[in-house]
Amino acid sequence: MENNNKKSSVFYSYNLNPQINFDTHAEGERIILSLRSHPFTQIGWILNSIFLFVFIFVLNFFIQNFFNLIQIFIFNIFAVVFILSYIWISFLGWYFNVGIVTNKRVIDIDLHAVIYKEISDAQLGKIEDITIKSGGYLQSLFDYGSIFIQTAGAAVNIEFNSVPHPSDAVQLINKLIGKKHGF
Amino acid sequence: MDFKDIIFKVIISLLALFYFFYALVISKQVKVMDKVLQDKYNWFILFVASLQVTASLVILIIVLLAVFIV
Repeated sequence: MENNNKKSSVFYSYNLNPQINFDTHAEGERIILSLRSHPFTQIGWILNSIFLFVFIFVLNFFIQNFFNLIQIFIFNIFAVVFILSYIWISFLGWYFNVGIVTNKRVIDIDLHAVIYKEISDAQLGKIEDITIKSGGYLQSLFDYGSIFIQTAGAAVNIEFNSVPHPSDAVQLINKLIGKKHGF
Repeated sequence: MDFKDIIFKVIISLLALFYFFYALVISKQVKVMDKVLQDKYNWFILFVASLQVTASLVILIIVLLAVFIV
């Protein structure tokens, strides 16, 4: 666990002993790690938003001939609101997609398109296999990847997508599993 | 009032109304998620969500003023 202590918070996406809580938190359960997608994976919507702002700005020069001042004003309000909503939804998608590791289980909280939420958890004792998938230049450069946790029987499998320091996180989970089994 | 004006006013009224309901849904969902996951930055998320509802209401009023008065 010593080398895990060195790494904490890649823009709030890898947090050891985080100050968070969740609704199914059991008594005596200690939150050890919280994971969100690496901030670099969010670059897509950030660039899209910048592009949309520039596009709207340029579009204003062309629509002047077709609409009056009030119409252009209202058009701009809606355009800005649309882009801000897009940024907001994308941010919420990142913020509320969290993987939590406690001393008893791993929990995956997912929020899709802001409207659908999915919460799955697996007891540490039921974890059978943990796989890390990390490939490509960017994932190697920024040290992020996906963790797949397979559980025994019909229990759901857990996925932490594009999280920072996946090897350290898996190492930590393995240690907790070891402790659970008394190794 | 020409046809283009009428179409424009109908579209912006519907958009403003839709955006208002959309902001309400997002705000409600953020409150639900705040209960699911309590984090130290949740106050900011809740603040922005309520700001969005306020902004959507202001936009709805501006649009209705533009439609019925101007």
